[in-house]
Amino acid sequence: MRVRMFWLLAASLIAFTALIVRTGYIQLSLGSELTEKAEQLWGRSIPSQPERGIIKDRNGTILAGNKSAPTVYVIPAQIEDAKTAARKLAAILNEKESVIYERMIKRSSIERLSSKGRNISTETARKITELQLKGVWIGEDSVRDYVLKERLAHVLGFTGADNQGLAGLEAYYDKKLAGISGSVQMFTDAKGEKMPGLSDEYVPPKDGMDLQLTIDSKVQSIIERELDFAEKTYKPDGAMAIAMDPNSGAILAMSSRPSYNPGAFREYDPDVYNRNLPVWSTFEPGSTFKIITLAAALEEKKVNLDQDHFHDPGHVEVNGSRLRCWKREGHGHQSFLEVVENSCNPGFVELGSRLGEKTLFQYIRKFGFGQKTGIDLYGEGMGILFTEESAGPVEAATAAFGQGVAVTPIQQVTAVSAAVNGGTLYRPFIAMNWTDPKTGKITTENKPKKVRRVISEETSSEVRRALESVVAKGTGRNAFVEGFRVGGKTGTAQKAKDGRYLENNHIVSFIGVAPSNDPKVVIYTAIDNPKGTVQFGGTVAAPIVGKMMGDVLPILGVKPQKGQIEKEKTWNDPDIIEVPDLIGLNKKELKEQLINVDIEIEGSGETVVSQSPSAGVKAERGSKVRVLLK
Amino acid sequence: MMLVLVLTGTGLFMVASAGEVWGQFNYENPFYFVERQAFFAAAGLVVMAVISYVDYRIWRNLSSVLLVLAFLLLVAVLIPGIGMVRNGSQSWIGFGSLSFQPSELMKIVLIFYLSALLAERKKVIHLFWKGLFKPLLVLGIAFALIMMQPDLGTAAVMGGTAFLLLFVAGAPIRFFVLTGVSAIGGLALLIISAPYRMKRITAYLDPWSDPLGSGFQIIQSLYAVGPGGLFGYGYGESRQKYYYLPEPQTDFIFAIWAEETGFIGAVFIMILFFLLIWRGIHIASRIEDAFGVLLVCGITAMISLQSFINLGVVTGLLPVTGVTLPFLSYGGSSLTMTLASAGIVLSVSRSTV
Repeated sequence: MRVRMFWLLAASLIAFTALIVRTGYIQLSLGSELTEKAEQLWGRSIPSQPERGIIKDRNGTILAGNKSAPTVYVIPAQIEDAKTAARKLAAILNEKESVIYERMIKRSSIERLSSKGRNISTETARKITELQLKGVWIGEDSVRDYVLKERLAHVLGFTGADNQGLAGLEAYYDKKLAGISGSVQMFTDAKGEKMPGLSDEYVPPKDGMDLQLTIDSKVQSIIERELDFAEKTYKPDGAMAIAMDPNSGAILAMSSRPSYNPGAFREYDPDVYNRNLPVWSTFEPGSTFKIITLAAALEEKKVNLDQDHFHDPGHVEVNGSRLRCWKREGHGHQSFLEVVENSCNPGFVELGSRLGEKTLFQYIRKFGFGQKTGIDLYGEGMGILFTEESAGPVEAATAAFGQGVAVTPIQQVTAVSAAVNGGTLYRPFIAMNWTDPKTGKITTENKPKKVRRVISEETSSEVRRALESVVAKGTGRNAFVEGFRVGGKTGTAQKAKDGRYLENNHIVSFIGVAPSNDPKVVIYTAIDNPKGTVQFGGTVAAPIVGKMMGDVLPILGVKPQKGQIEKEKTWNDPDIIEVPDLIGLNKKELKEQLINVDIEIEGSGETVVSQSPSAGVKAERGSKVRVLLK
Repeated sequence: MMLVLVLTGTGLFMVASAGEVWGQFNYENPFYFVERQAFFAAAGLVVMAVISYVDYRIWRNLSSVLLVLAFLLLVAVLIPGIGMVRNGSQSWIGFGSLSFQPSELMKIVLIFYLSALLAERKKVIHLFWKGLFKPLLVLGIAFALIMMQPDLGTAAVMGGTAFLLLFVAGAPIRFFVLTGVSAIGGLALLIISAPYRMKRITAYLDPWSDPLGSGFQIIQSLYAVGPGGLFGYGYGESRQKYYYLPEPQTDFIFAIWAEETGFIGAVFIMILFFLLIWRGIHIASRIEDAFGVLLVCGITAMISLQSFINLGVVTGLLPVTGVTLPFLSYGGSSLTMTLASAGIVLSVSRSTV
């Protein structure tokens, strides 16, 4: 018996040791976690909202502020006659009675009547106060005030009913802008009464940080003005523009059309506010891409712009494929500088083949194509490049003049900035710094971020000379600004849908750089499917960028200077051309002639049998030629 | 003796704090529970003192009679009109303003009876029919009657106590092995036949799977024990007693204690209980009389099992069963019976001097 009693004692010792260990585990190890959960159980907290951080431009101009918005709150426990109160409130707020009633009988400490009860007018607020309904309160909330309305809308984005960022920078930097909500915490017993002996805890809200952007609202307004003009004149499907400081990657302006008013985003098609075209849209760049080929060829010393020459017969054969120049009869004998000025496709094919497909695509990637630039905005596109394996001579040849690759506007601006700023690729950015709303002191600053060096200083300088020459003497002449050394390159790209090119539907673009000797800004503008004009970058986009440059450069403190490459007044200034011979061309070949003339097609055949006016007649560039197909 | 006084005294403090809120709410008297508990403690201590002077052999002689009485009461409590239902169990019989649980009586009486029987059968304990059958039969009937109330906690304590008695009395180990194996086998069969039972069993391992249902009491108990930390909120500062934790003054009194006095206080109580067991076995080991040994062991086993089950429930180690904590929980019949049984141990101890 004794032995067994000893076993009993031993067993109970083990049992109690287990209990002590378990209690220790709960109290000492799980303790804080359990306390947190238990405090949630005991606490009833009434939130107290922080003020959302203000968004300013680089000069301190407010772009998105806050305005006071009276908001209706109900405290269900204090409501006496929910039915009557709901009916009276519903009448004033123009809201369904049932919606309000449901809120009033909800088992919660405090309810905000969202949507209809939010941001009400002072008149409405007064009416509600006069009702003297028990348990109905008017709270002083604040909502976003987008002072620019449709301007800069895509970049700023908007906030939802609870002041939460839903799009644009508001979404990207929501955490920092939103701040941390505070609360008044009461400890109550399980029956909802205040627990004795425990004091309320007040946690003050922490206001959101103020955000200063790299955007210059004056530059932005010029960009917007010109896009307004383009929208009115050309009724395009869309339009976009970016202005960037090439020496840092800082975005000075960015605009997208169609635009929307962030304060009333619900009235717009989600596609409108969700697509920030300058970073989202991906399309064939066309000739603006030739800058990349040019920079690569110069860096690899494959060409001397003045000494090397090239004969353009109007087309070039690559591996059995015939690639045409936009100018059907060809540019004839030219120096490579003239190749750039004329945007001669066979000339660039030659540069591409001198580089070899491998090297060319290496440069394309080094300039940042095929990957996101990393700009601080959501929804950025990657673009589409040939994979290394599939990139053969034909692909390299088309890519050399901007076809068969798809890129985003922000990639182009970033890459061209690198080509002209001395050779460094920067990561584009919009948030310049964060300031503490109370002290006004800068807490964090976004420094420009160098991604890599792509080309040398000398190459970059040569690229700038070529681009200035394009504007002074070549296809970019419409962007010429007297006194400011604007360089640039046109682009006209056919839009593709479901793997096929669309007819008479181009994205025309121009990318401008100024001043050419020391670039301060790169402006890119693209107009999607302009109507009632020749769809050619030099005709539509170049003058827009020219006007932007003329007004933006003085704002940036650039003084007019002498010694720019003089504008060449030659055979087509004003733009008079000879009507080309279209007879015998097929549909596809006809499209290539759109650069010179607007073509109106009659009949439904494959080849042109007659045209009016006939070939050789002098006419203004872009005038209408009617052709009959059979 | 000292241990019993310390435990009972601490129990009064516990009830005073833990019962304060509910006392105020139900009886508009925060001291309602502690006043009554003090009365029962006083009465119980008197009973204990008296019993400690009674020759313990009287319980052997009375055991058969008491057993019959206990059985009658257990049957009676099941008859509607006589038995009262509290918290879903029909386990109370009332006489005027006083009420008590026959199962409490059965627990102690069964110890008398089994001690007497097993002391007699010391020589034949290894035989099943001659030795073990009768005690098991009596136990089985009592167990079944209590389960009909139903009161799983008390039944478990009683059954466990009986098996410990059999163990101490020298029942062959193979018997326990066999019982264990068949119990596991039976459990396995039950689970296979109805898989939902598995959920029941695992539910208490993860109370958060059903926080408002089966897990509710455990979670509320852990919310009390956990935040207690090392030193607790301080005496009287419990938050969980404000209606969050059900039965703070009875079954879950230890949770409130752990919340208010922390790990230190909790370990203090546990050590007291262990010392009590040690004392009990120490007393038993000095006695020659087999009945006395079994009597002391049985009572010690009962108190230790009950305290272990209660503490296990409070700390989430065991599923909720509704067993009170001896000496500490509020409850008249429970406290009086515990003190009375302590008196019996004292009387046995006295007889050896």
